[in-house]
Amino acid sequence: MITLNSIEKSYRHGLSQTFVLRRVNAEIKQGDFVSIMGPSGAGKSTLLHILGMHDSAWTGEYWLFDDPIHQLSAKDRMRVQKQHVGFVFQSYHLLDNLTVYENIDLPLSYRDVKKSEREGMVADILDRFNIVGKKDLFPNQLSGGQQQLVAIARAVVAKPTLILADEPTGNLHTDQGKEIMELFRRLNEAGTTIVQVTHSQANAAYGRRVINLKDGWIVDEN
Amino acid sequence: MNAIARDVRYAFRSLLKAKGFTLVALVTLALGIGGTTAIFSIVDGVVLRPLPYNDSQRILRLVRISARGEEASFSAADYRDLKKDATNLSSVAGYRSDIVDLTGRGEPVRIIGMQTTAGFFDVFDAPPLRGRTYHEATDKPGAAVAVIGEAIWRQQFGGADSVIGSQVRLNGTPTEIIGVVPEWFRHPGKSDAWMLSPLDVPTSPFSLDASGNREVQYFTAVARVDRRKSLVEAREQLKSIGARLADEFAKTNAGEALDGRPLADSMVADVRTALFVLMGAVGFVLLIACANVAGLLVARGASRRRELAVRTALGAGRGRLMQQLLTESLVLAAAGGALGLLVANWALDLLVSVAPENLPRLDEVALDWRVALFTFAATIVVGVLFGLTPAMQASRPELNADLKDGGRTGTARTGARNVMVVAQVALALVLLIGAGLMLTSFSRLRAVDPGFRTTELITVELMLPLARYDESAQRRFYMGVLERLQANPLTAQSAMLFPFPFGGGNAQAGFQVIGQPEKPPAEKTVAELNSISPGYLQTAGLRLIAGRDFAATDGPDSPPVALVNEAALKEFGGKNPIGEQVDLGSPVTVVGIVSDARRRSLDAPPRPAVYLPYSQFVLPYMGAMVRTDKSAAATASAVKAAVAQLDPDLPVGDVKSIEQIIDESTGQPRFRSFLITSFAILALLLAAVGVYGLISFTVTQRIPEIGVRLALGANPWQVFSLVIGQGLRLAVMGVVLGLGAAVLATRLLRGMLFNTSATDPLIYASLALLLLTMAGVACYVPARRAMRVDPMRALRSE
Repeated sequence: MITLNSIEKSYRHGLSQTFVLRRVNAEIKQGDFVSIMGPSGAGKSTLLHILGMHDSAWTGEYWLFDDPIHQLSAKDRMRVQKQHVGFVFQSYHLLDNLTVYENIDLPLSYRDVKKSEREGMVADILDRFNIVGKKDLFPNQLSGGQQQLVAIARAVVAKPTLILADEPTGNLHTDQGKEIMELFRRLNEAGTTIVQVTHSQANAAYGRRVINLKDGWIVDEN
Repeated sequence: MNAIARDVRYAFRSLLKAKGFTLVALVTLALGIGGTTAIFSIVDGVVLRPLPYNDSQRILRLVRISARGEEASFSAADYRDLKKDATNLSSVAGYRSDIVDLTGRGEPVRIIGMQTTAGFFDVFDAPPLRGRTYHEATDKPGAAVAVIGEAIWRQQFGGADSVIGSQVRLNGTPTEIIGVVPEWFRHPGKSDAWMLSPLDVPTSPFSLDASGNREVQYFTAVARVDRRKSLVEAREQLKSIGARLADEFAKTNAGEALDGRPLADSMVADVRTALFVLMGAVGFVLLIACANVAGLLVARGASRRRELAVRTALGAGRGRLMQQLLTESLVLAAAGGALGLLVANWALDLLVSVAPENLPRLDEVALDWRVALFTFAATIVVGVLFGLTPAMQASRPELNADLKDGGRTGTARTGARNVMVVAQVALALVLLIGAGLMLTSFSRLRAVDPGFRTTELITVELMLPLARYDESAQRRFYMGVLERLQANPLTAQSAMLFPFPFGGGNAQAGFQVIGQPEKPPAEKTVAELNSISPGYLQTAGLRLIAGRDFAATDGPDSPPVALVNEAALKEFGGKNPIGEQVDLGSPVTVVGIVSDARRRSLDAPPRPAVYLPYSQFVLPYMGAMVRTDKSAAATASAVKAAVAQLDPDLPVGDVKSIEQIIDESTGQPRFRSFLITSFAILALLLAAVGVYGLISFTVTQRIPEIGVRLALGANPWQVFSLVIGQGLRLAVMGVVLGLGAAVLATRLLRGMLFNTSATDPLIYASLALLLLTMAGVACYVPARRAMRVDPMRALRSE
């Protein structure tokens, strides 16, 4: 599903160049549940944002299914991203002005899904995530765990084949973190490929593979 | 459609949440849009709106251009020739205004009448409200008929239909009222009644033979261009007729020309430029308001970077984000526009109340659908204008960084805001300099010495109906009134005169000193004629420089005598004028020289003037001038009593102090100065808010940096000067740009300035300093806040 060949990312400071990622090669198969781990500054989030196509300033080859992301225009990347990717952030990033319902509806509206269809899809997700009763609340009326639940609901509502999660339990206490990881497991079992960045061995244990990064290099893969 | 509706809903919600931002933005926009709308409604009512007559663009005011290049009135003979030969005009009419006493229905009433030829209502094709109007095809000169205006119809006739066909006495002549025209039909000026002339031309107000004399010019002419002909063809024909008359009657018409000007243009020619300058000035205020709101939006965009990054991560393209941000701007603009209409409604009432009475078409100014359409368009333009830059900037989030730092402490993108602030300061300075120039010009105009003592001087109009007063009756009447006034201690120092200084009346004549070489027509001196009674010089405060004043012995049958002013002395070729004779159509002997006085306006230097004794040159438009320390009302009563003794049926005209008349004569420059100064103050405040907003925002963004500086040993005053320095640097850039722009923009004001250079360095420098001081004050509050940053707290929050 994903093939990375020699991905590199660096910043220039005058004459010197600082590398964030170095010659990253990886293969992720459809249905995988991969955890990216490593110390702070290893390049984990950077790699995740490259996979999520939020970052385009890198070199190397990135294939997603048959699409050569490294060759696509910004517009085409956006198309591929909309088609395949859902993103979950550490700090949820729900939009404060929008209700739970509207937050979940947002990715569908950006994909030009018809209103009648959207209503059905959002209702289905609210039901699946058991948050129907909260649909008219604003994010600041929810607990951290509930907010992340909504964030995941928002990430999966457009039925992405790939979910990218950046430390999804980083701001949650242990019980809430477990719930979220269980949710990811169920999504993965249902066929969604998941790539998460985590510091937690326990969370990594929910996945099938771990990619270890250090100073931008893949140092270990199992 | 759905997406737009959703964006509108989100925009409302988002604006309601940011109450402080929304309030400041709305007030700014309401002031900008409201001010622009109010001025536009005046420009529209006065300049842009077509006149309310059928096919009004085909109406021309016919102009006779004298050999000196001045527009002049028509003589009966020229008018007749023009009417006969101008085949491209479907109808032509002449008219002159007249003071009319309406009697035969209780109290005599003085109204403004217009004596016109039969074609008047053929030219002004307007349906009557009641009855009919007169026309060349149906009404022959000599029929004593009149059409009255709606206001008089309602006030004097109770709006009764029975007025049609009824007889009234107009200036003593029995006249049948045949129609009533609606209120909007007031041409020219503020007429109350239109009377058919007994001749094929308006009758002459002078006791001179006017019918064949091309030098007796006294009325205005208008025409309607034939439907089959273009305006250009009509004007070409008028010019060729003018050229023919100039050839054929070289003695009187040499160097003269005829032309036609679209009536609407000719009515507003004097105020057009001033109104467009004001429109430009208020446009500047709107631009500053836009820059201000754009600055606020950029700041808001910076604090919304996380939201926009999330939206992008969820699949929103740049276009989609821009659509949403622009929707917010437009919603904001629409709310600002709606409030702006309220502001405009209020401002328009204020503007109309302070507008000079002589501003043409002021009664047509209204907030109507045309103005609403303008406001709507302005709102859209404004929304896009202030929304575009922030939207373009905010719709390009740096996704990775924005998602990480959450848009809370990221480096400020102040570049666009800096540009906005510099632009605001520059625009505000242009307006301030414009206002400074106008105010200086106005104060210099008001400081002009008119040449007579303006305090405690009251004038009373005493016009006489020609129908009842021939020349000798006029003379008897004015002498009788003056005698009675001088006998009353309250009005002992009185005189009779025509015309009042700065009033509408005017009489002039060619001025040729007998014995001096005759000048060609184009260079011939024209002198202003004044008819005065003995005692006028003392009453007005003019100085007798040489010779003698008029005396009671200068009667109608005595040799004609005159006084001349200093400006006329150069005509005498260095000779002592006393005892010289001047040809004013007939010879008069100069018996005295008086000091110069301004007669038409404060900004027009004194021209050669001749004073004639009212016993020898009487006009039915004279008035009394009284020097008194009593009120105008008390003076008016004394004058009324004197008049009533002579003619109980004669109403007394306007009673005004000379100061009041001078105030009215400077109404337009005062109006312009008032408006442009208001705009400049508004611009100054908005620019100060802009500077304050930017510096305040920057300080908030730089708190961690300031904390580090303080922790590293910077003292609070160094922080203070850092912040003030940032604001002042931008203000100085704006001032430099503004000074350059002002040099260009104030060129437009040149024609409106009196004794003031459009590039007066003192005005430029003092206003630049004022603006910099204001910018310094605006920076002071955030700079003080920066000084008080607690380094520990600042660093902890980092």
